[in-house]
Amino acid sequence: MGFFEKVLFKKKVPTIQTKFAIYNALSKSLIILSFMALLPLIVEKVVYDHIDKRLIARTERILLTVQKGGIDDIVLEQDCSFESYSILKEEFVAIYPILDPRKMPPSMEIKNEAWQIDGEKMQHRIIRRPFTYDNQLYELNIGEGISSIEQLKSTIQRFSLIMMIVVVVISLFIDLGFVRILMKPLDKIMHKKLQPVPSPNNFDFTPIPSTTHEFNKLDQRINEMMLKLRDAFQIEKEFISNVSHELQTPISIVQNRLENIMIDANLSDDVLVRLSDSQRTLNRMSKIIKALLLISKIENDQYLKSEEVTAINILDEVIEDVEERLNQKNIKLIKQFYEDFNIKPCNRTLLYTMFTNLINNAIKYNKEDGSIIITTKFIDDVFHIEIKDTGIGMKKEDLPAIFDRFKRLNTSTAEGFGLGLPIVKTIAAFHKIDITVDSEPAVGSTFDLRFDDVKI
Amino acid sequence: MNVLIVEDERSLSHEMEIYLTRQNFNCDVAFNGKSGTDKVLTNSYDFVLLDLGLPDMDGLDLLKDARKKGSEAAFIVLTARGEVEDKIKGLDLGADDYIPKPFSLAELHSRMQAILRRKHGLKSNTMTVADFDIDISNRTVQCKGQTINLTKKEFDLFHYLSLHKNRVLTRTQLTEHIWGDVLEDDYESNYIDVHVKNLRKKLSAHAPIDWFETVRGVGYRINI
Repeated sequence: MGFFEKVLFKKKVPTIQTKFAIYNALSKSLIILSFMALLPLIVEKVVYDHIDKRLIARTERILLTVQKGGIDDIVLEQDCSFESYSILKEEFVAIYPILDPRKMPPSMEIKNEAWQIDGEKMQHRIIRRPFTYDNQLYELNIGEGISSIEQLKSTIQRFSLIMMIVVVVISLFIDLGFVRILMKPLDKIMHKKLQPVPSPNNFDFTPIPSTTHEFNKLDQRINEMMLKLRDAFQIEKEFISNVSHELQTPISIVQNRLENIMIDANLSDDVLVRLSDSQRTLNRMSKIIKALLLISKIENDQYLKSEEVTAINILDEVIEDVEERLNQKNIKLIKQFYEDFNIKPCNRTLLYTMFTNLINNAIKYNKEDGSIIITTKFIDDVFHIEIKDTGIGMKKEDLPAIFDRFKRLNTSTAEGFGLGLPIVKTIAAFHKIDITVDSEPAVGSTFDLRFDDVKI
Repeated sequence: MNVLIVEDERSLSHEMEIYLTRQNFNCDVAFNGKSGTDKVLTNSYDFVLLDLGLPDMDGLDLLKDARKKGSEAAFIVLTARGEVEDKIKGLDLGADDYIPKPFSLAELHSRMQAILRRKHGLKSNTMTVADFDIDISNRTVQCKGQTINLTKKEFDLFHYLSLHKNRVLTRTQLTEHIWGDVLEDDYESNYIDVHVKNLRKKLSAHAPIDWFETVRGVGYRINI
């Protein structure tokens, strides 16, 4: 993974499934809460409507009785009033004459009121209806007790609440299940198509079946993009491979001709030096081509990866080979080989090239009498090889580019063609080794190789 | 020693011919696969230097065919198609060695000599340079019966220079021989000088080595 990808994808964000679950839970809770708030009002409205209808019907009946049979049958009291109530004082009927016409109530009203029966005040729903009989104004009051209604209200409320929760929970599970089924293709796309692959050649182009238009489109477009990418890669690699091949033959001819000319004994010293310079220049050109070819071959998966070697073994081998170089600059190489690791499967020659380049860099950019520390150890169950030098180091802003081809840093005085680290990077990637670098100018550089994807 | 060069690049086969003729080889050339096959099957060669990218056929097919029909020549495969390197090694088609292009003629010559030693089991596997005896199979150097402790690279260097004695080997040729297998981001290193310095120190402790010459600005030569 490149530097920018790392920066871009560092922040962890929740998955769409998590978001759906949270959204579901929140919306369902909101429904339950608003239901709980509205339920008493609804129950009250329904119950009162019911009572009111009953009260009105009774009023009509009583008024009909009065019209038919006269009021005298009902009003027995001296003051022409009448009161009657049930034993439990739950219901009552009362008729009073209205003595003062100004106090006459409006045509009809229904409200809750405390009514005094036998000196005991009780909450009632009361209908008040004025009527005229025999030129006398009367007021008819019919009441019904509402204490039982409160009880009814809480019963209904409890019952509906339980129902509601059951329904909500069931629908929550159904929703989540549905989302899971719905999102399954996306899940597959995530796992099969959006995992980091070393090259488009390793990409799985099998279509992921879905009955959702958007997912089909997404899958199709990803495949199309990867195909384009694969073709572009292929063209680039073939180009490099062909160019390298075509260039090696003419170089061979000139190189061999130079060798034959130089064997000629009649050459002056000056010509010999110039010919040997030309040979060096030609060799440099050939090396650049070889390096490009090597990178392109590795990226094209043309190298076998069937050997195994332990880290300490190959490091020791490389160190032995560069011993003279170390001595030349009087550099002390310190081996801190705490733990070993079997690199398998691997290509031994390529790994040798990688470590030679890394250690040679640590020598090349080091100071006289400097040191190199090579550490091998496990950190959090992941094997690491760390190569730390006391060299000239690099600026922080230069670090992201050091693995790019033909990038040479201005600070470097040593010669090279700028393909050493790209080769290292390519070989590391081929072996699924993650390589990072830390550096400080005038202090030194540290290359860290992580073997986390390499199977033990 | 008879050598057949199967190479379609005429300039290249010409240079190889010049060099090998100087080394007392009898050279024959073929510019395509068909004529190469004919020659291999008709004549008896000690070496076949085989280019893989032939115009009319794959060089590997020529090799397979020749082996099937009982050719006993030593095959050295020359190729610029680096991508088949692993395959050649893996397939074990009966090639005796493999040299990627571009190669140095001196390197080709030393590989041919190595094959000769291997194939014919030369009686004397030692070379003598002045007071020094080089045992090639055991990779040791002795002077008046005393073994000199050389590193791997110092031995390779001494052996290579001795093989091509009386001729200048340039730093480039020596570097390619010593470090050729490893692709490094370094074309101008003076590591060869360091190796030579150490080698000279070790040899001169036992006997004078004024024949070990430095050719200024070019390389080194064993002049005997």
